[in-house]
Amino acid sequence: MTTTATTTATTAQDAGRAPVVSFQGVSKSYGAVRAVADLHLELHPGETVALLGPNGAGKSSTLDLLLGLRTPDTGSVSLFGTTPQRAIQQGKVGAMLQSGGLMEGVKVRELVQLARDLHPQGYPVDQILANAGITDIADRLVGKLSGGQEQRVRFALATAGANDLIVLDEPTTGMDVSSRQTFWGAMRRQAQEGRTVLFATHYLEEADEIADRVIVLHRGRVLADGTSAEIKARAGARRINFDLTEPADRAALEALPHLTALTVSASGSGSTVRIQSQDADATVHALYGLGLYPRNLEVSGLGLEQAFIAITTAEEAAR
Amino acid sequence: MTTLIKLEIIRALRNKKFMFFSVIYPPALYLIIAGGADSKPIPGTGLNMGLYYMVSMAAFGAMTAVLLGNSERIAKEREQGWVRQLRLTALPGRGYVAAKIAAAATVSLPSILLVMIAAATVKGVRLEAWQWIAIAVGTWLGSFVFAALGVAIGYLASGDAVRPISMLCFFALAFLGGLWMPMTLLPQWVQNISEWLPTHAYAALGTAVEAGGAPHVKDMAILLGYLLLFVGGAAWLYRKDTRKA
Repeated sequence: MTTTATTTATTAQDAGRAPVVSFQGVSKSYGAVRAVADLHLELHPGETVALLGPNGAGKSSTLDLLLGLRTPDTGSVSLFGTTPQRAIQQGKVGAMLQSGGLMEGVKVRELVQLARDLHPQGYPVDQILANAGITDIADRLVGKLSGGQEQRVRFALATAGANDLIVLDEPTTGMDVSSRQTFWGAMRRQAQEGRTVLFATHYLEEADEIADRVIVLHRGRVLADGTSAEIKARAGARRINFDLTEPADRAALEALPHLTALTVSASGSGSTVRIQSQDADATVHALYGLGLYPRNLEVSGLGLEQAFIAITTAEEAAR
Repeated sequence: MTTLIKLEIIRALRNKKFMFFSVIYPPALYLIIAGGADSKPIPGTGLNMGLYYMVSMAAFGAMTAVLLGNSERIAKEREQGWVRQLRLTALPGRGYVAAKIAAAATVSLPSILLVMIAAATVKGVRLEAWQWIAIAVGTWLGSFVFAALGVAIGYLASGDAVRPISMLCFFALAFLGGLWMPMTLLPQWVQNISEWLPTHAYAALGTAVEAGGAPHVKDMAILLGYLLLFVGGAAWLYRKDTRKA
């Protein structure tokens, strides 16, 4: 937690050090549904952050609050030390919404021109089109695009000017694998230029691959916040696989230290064992201590997806 | 902001079906209503049916196009999320309303001109050149008031509620404002209300000119007041819209 709030004199230097995004105890309910619950969050300049969570975790609500499209019931949201509305007016924020419809009856180029002209520091139209990979569809009517093409047009609108923060809500929905790769290429260029990028996703491999910080959201709260390696570690995220030539003693295996999951299946006269462990080294050491001779021993990292499932189920179980 | 205005106009012109019906409807209605009327003056107005209905149908047609057209299209755009996207730009609320009024004005101008042409050719309405110009310009500028109202309704209501609400506003305003039948044929209490409605002031602009005078300051003031009210309200609603339509 930074303590910028305690200083009374707001100098230009302080403004420069203000977090890009700051949520202070933000809650938002829709009727009886609590979409965001006492959320504390800070993003710093240059970070590429994934907001990860299943559908209904509060990702879109969080982004709506961040962009000032909704007002929080309690708490406060600030961007660059000011209100979301003012930050947007100043052209500091580019955003691509999941539900962001496009203006119909106009051509792609015309729409991009509009976004450019509305931005206080807009880029040349051809550059925006090329960057978003939509030069070839510039003269098409907006209503006649495929889902993936629409997403790229939305991306073009979000990157039409020199923004400091780019917010994307499930940006690759509807894209095929190759356009997804191209899209993330364009996204990485934005990050390399020093922009802060925040994207919501439930494609876990995207968070793992692209983000240098992953925030796991569940029931409107931050469940985990760290690098994807840390998230995986937190979920007990090493996998140990091996074969035994004899039938496994299940009870003995269950007693292994740091074990979080165990499956044993018979294979021929022996068995195959799969273990998830929070400390693979200690688990394997103890395994030899049992007098067992594991064959084909493999220790590997869990994908973020399994880590994510492990964290959320642990959370459910704790309730 | 000018880009958005330009784009809204281009877009209105490209929507051929919408343009065609919005433009063709008022002159057709004019010919149906005033077509069989004789040239006897309407009591209390000094104008005959052909003349009276030219102004009221031009006003009615322009109002139909801009009020109903705007409110439904805006409600649809909100539902599709385009307005949310637009709100993430530096566009001020009044810019959005101005663009919508411009788009509506693109539609209303040809329909006003067509009513006047129909009146001149079919009904033999004869006026001085300045009167023609004053009526066309006055009716056109007056339609901005209803375009702004359309934007505001598009924001107040959403989904299935838009049409009933805009229809209700529209019919009440048209009837009570005397667009369908001369005011002097209506009961006194209706006339008392009518005097303060934008539709009455709107049609009065044209009828005053037809009678050979300048539009009344009171009518212009009423229209200006409503314009400011509707534009301000619509811009405010645009900025405050935090509902996920």
